[in-house]
Amino acid sequence: MSETTIDVRNFKPAIVYTIYIASTPEKVWEALTHPEFSKKYFSGHAVEVDLRVGGAFIMRTPDGALHISGEVIECDPPRRLTFTFNVNWPALVEKLGPTLVTYEIEPAGETVKLTLLQSHDREISDDILSGGRAGWPAILSSLKSLLETGSAPAIAMQPPERMLAALKEMGIETP
Amino acid sequence: MDEVFKALADASRRALLDRLHAENGQTLNELCDGLDMTRQAVTKHLGILEAANLVATRRHGREKLHYINPLPIHQIGERWIRKFERGKLAALGELKRQLEKRDE
Repeated sequence: MSETTIDVRNFKPAIVYTIYIASTPEKVWEALTHPEFSKKYFSGHAVEVDLRVGGAFIMRTPDGALHISGEVIECDPPRRLTFTFNVNWPALVEKLGPTLVTYEIEPAGETVKLTLLQSHDREISDDILSGGRAGWPAILSSLKSLLETGSAPAIAMQPPERMLAALKEMGIETP
Repeated sequence: MDEVFKALADASRRALLDRLHAENGQTLNELCDGLDMTRQAVTKHLGILEAANLVATRRHGREKLHYINPLPIHQIGERWIRKFERGKLAALGELKRQLEKRDE
């Protein structure tokens, strides 16, 4: 992986989503960082993360292909995890810059407040952001179901057409 | 969930959500700009929206930014709407079968 120096202060959140989950911070952390959980709520994707600053963060599609590659930027279990979250499509990072994702976990009474932030170091169009706006709510709701009921409804995740069209226009190849 | 419906049952608060939907991550000043509401009223409405988890705030540098949080509305959709979508799909499937049968 190429060495990148990320200064989180240069990144502005484009998406801030919060959800309350009847669980403990430790369980939410475990679900966010282990593939046996992520496969159930992240549309079949397996997360593999080396939980230390500079460690690799990757996500694989159900057929094992590398879909997301990134690096851990902040790691404070079970409270905060920040990593680069770059979709593995040619020229994407070059054109859009790195995407930063943060999970924040806070106890809230008998529940846990989970906040997801997607941040960028430049302005990103609504067309491109439509991917995260469509995907994250389904993923977070599914994670909540998994932790609260033990099963997660299967979610179909298709990249929105408008996002694919915008990427194509920028010269970014998508599968 | 009561809080979500109460927060949404007000045109001024829905107008604030519309503004965040159009342009996410605004400061209080930006949100007040061009609105026919006092700053105090906007602050009060934002407080109600935040308590219902429909708005999330973040500090960025010196600014406090407001973001729309669609998760509570998404969950309402999951709970009451999904079922009807399934019905619609089944109806379309049936229509397809009927139309194709006619060609035989």
